[in-house]
Amino acid sequence: MNLLDALELLNRPIPEPASEQGIFLECGFTPLHLKTFLAAQLRLCFPKDRIEIKTGLYGDLAGNLERVQPSSRSVVCVVVEWADLDPRLGIRGLGGWRSTDVPGIVESARRQSERLTHLMKQLMDSTPICVSTPTLPLPPIFTTQGGQAHHHECQLREIVASLATSLSADRRVRLLNLQRLDELSPLGRRFDAKAEITSGFPYTLEHASTLAEMLAALIQDMPPKKGLITDLDDTLWAGILGEIGVEGIAWDMAGHAQMHGVYQQFLASLASAGVLLAAASRNDPALVEQALGRSDLLLSRDNLFPREVHRGPKSESVEHILDTWNIGPEDVIFIDDSPMEVAEVHAVFPQMECVVFPKGDDQAIWNLLRRLRDCLGKVSVSPEDEIRQRSIRAASTMKSILPQRGRGADDFLRTVEATITFSLGTDASDDRALELINKTNQFNLNGKRFSHSDWLGLLQDPAAFLLTASYEDKFGPLGKIAVVMGKMEGRKLHVNSWVLSCRAFSRRIEHQCLKYLFEKFDPEEMVFDYEATPRNGPLQDFFAELLGGPPSPSVRKAVFDAKAPALFHRLVEVANVRAG
Amino acid sequence: MSEQDDRLARCFASVFPALTPEEIRAASAESVTAWDSLASVTLVAVIQQEFSVEIDVLDLPELTSFEALRTYLSPSRDARPGRGVRFNP
Repeated sequence: MNLLDALELLNRPIPEPASEQGIFLECGFTPLHLKTFLAAQLRLCFPKDRIEIKTGLYGDLAGNLERVQPSSRSVVCVVVEWADLDPRLGIRGLGGWRSTDVPGIVESARRQSERLTHLMKQLMDSTPICVSTPTLPLPPIFTTQGGQAHHHECQLREIVASLATSLSADRRVRLLNLQRLDELSPLGRRFDAKAEITSGFPYTLEHASTLAEMLAALIQDMPPKKGLITDLDDTLWAGILGEIGVEGIAWDMAGHAQMHGVYQQFLASLASAGVLLAAASRNDPALVEQALGRSDLLLSRDNLFPREVHRGPKSESVEHILDTWNIGPEDVIFIDDSPMEVAEVHAVFPQMECVVFPKGDDQAIWNLLRRLRDCLGKVSVSPEDEIRQRSIRAASTMKSILPQRGRGADDFLRTVEATITFSLGTDASDDRALELINKTNQFNLNGKRFSHSDWLGLLQDPAAFLLTASYEDKFGPLGKIAVVMGKMEGRKLHVNSWVLSCRAFSRRIEHQCLKYLFEKFDPEEMVFDYEATPRNGPLQDFFAELLGGPPSPSVRKAVFDAKAPALFHRLVEVANVRAG
Repeated sequence: MSEQDDRLARCFASVFPALTPEEIRAASAESVTAWDSLASVTLVAVIQQEFSVEIDVLDLPELTSFEALRTYLSPSRDARPGRGVRFNP
């Protein structure tokens, strides 16, 4: 984006009604065009939001961090440059570059880095924080020629690496990846000495634009896609299984197919992080099962569920996989080496990202893996991520058994040995609860999403409560699958958010949640912040079945008791700590 | 109006969105209240990027109107005030 485009974008009106969002851009230089580019990029990321970017004082990054007072719906974005660690690492101060000065510069940078780390860690408790560590080249203060690194230069880099390591250990920090920035903005084209001297702005426009784009992506914090559907022949492995047999297919150097092995290894990594994987292949099912049983396969056969192996259209396979996963096509990537298959699936599911696997082109496969990580990557792996594939398999098993038994649902549910573990409190550090609210579409009271700072603010209300429910039955654990958030005011219990994972449907967990809340709080009525959305049909169905229509807007316990079906869950309660 | 004048007017409109096209062509630091130091820096940066030129810092005090900038960017070198524009390759 160039500066003219950025300014013109910012001059366009924001559609009303707009939400307010505050960004604190904290840096020690004049924010100038970085602020403009960041505002423009954020306009693209949040087209319905009115975003106000607040900045601090020139030359006082630490002081700016001390003064910042984040409010609800705000994010702090910290851009550190070398001169913030010691002004002598910039060119606007003339404090001396003699060789005898440099050890002092290093020591002062170390102290300042520790101070900045401390200040940023303090901020993390109240707001999300995005951090960029120095992006500019170090000035020529070292005695060595440019091609040779000096010990003091290495010390400065170690100081910054230590700052980054310390911050990145906390999931509340979103640290800008300098490797990606290096790819997009060449180091030699970042520093603008003239702009630095005349206006205190050290970046070229190109670098400011790139940095702003990456910072905006960190602020936006887009949720990753949830699943990947892969073809098998000439994709998961090299070769056509039906032609060359189980022993003929390859994914290693000996078989001139190393990148297929790398792809398998990458898929195993995704699976371990809770990304759903499935196979869609026009093949002989028995042969595929044999191939997936090979001991040298780099991902587990169980990582691929379901496996749709038949001669029918790929779009049919994809439809069945989506049905089993119970997620939408927009959350899934489809990969196949055949452009025709990719086109066929994309025609049926235009919202799905469909990618041709570039067989035979090692570099292109490498690039594909990087692109996939961008779409599917996540900051941390939760316990729910680890059991997701297993719980979907369990849900699928249960779904298939329920109609086959031909008995009433009561009889069946009585036998599944279900346990619900409730946790009631205001634990704002429960990332899974916020994640569930922000990514659940179908059983969602109103579709409202919350930023981390919104979430903190809501749960700091003394009247607030947060109920989470984990579920397990004889088919396996589903993990934490339900969240209810609201507050008790007088004799009314207000439910602001309520979600239930689609994996947990048909188990009457939703009924048990309401029953538990009625018993715990003993309200006269429960008031729901209900809103029909294009995607919350299952939630609408629940209320229609229970009440004959939407909650209008409240439900009394007597009504609930009269309409609720029989519940057979064993209940467990665990402690839930209050947010600090 | 030349294509170059239109491009310059677009730069002005991006920095001073409240001005009409007529006001832009008559704009000067004296007549436009929004033309402060920040606007000056932004305007120069936009023009430099849009026209792929580098404007000498010492010329800036003279470039305080649409007309002055139009003349400065003019292809006719003799017509330019100040030390002259350097066109980036």
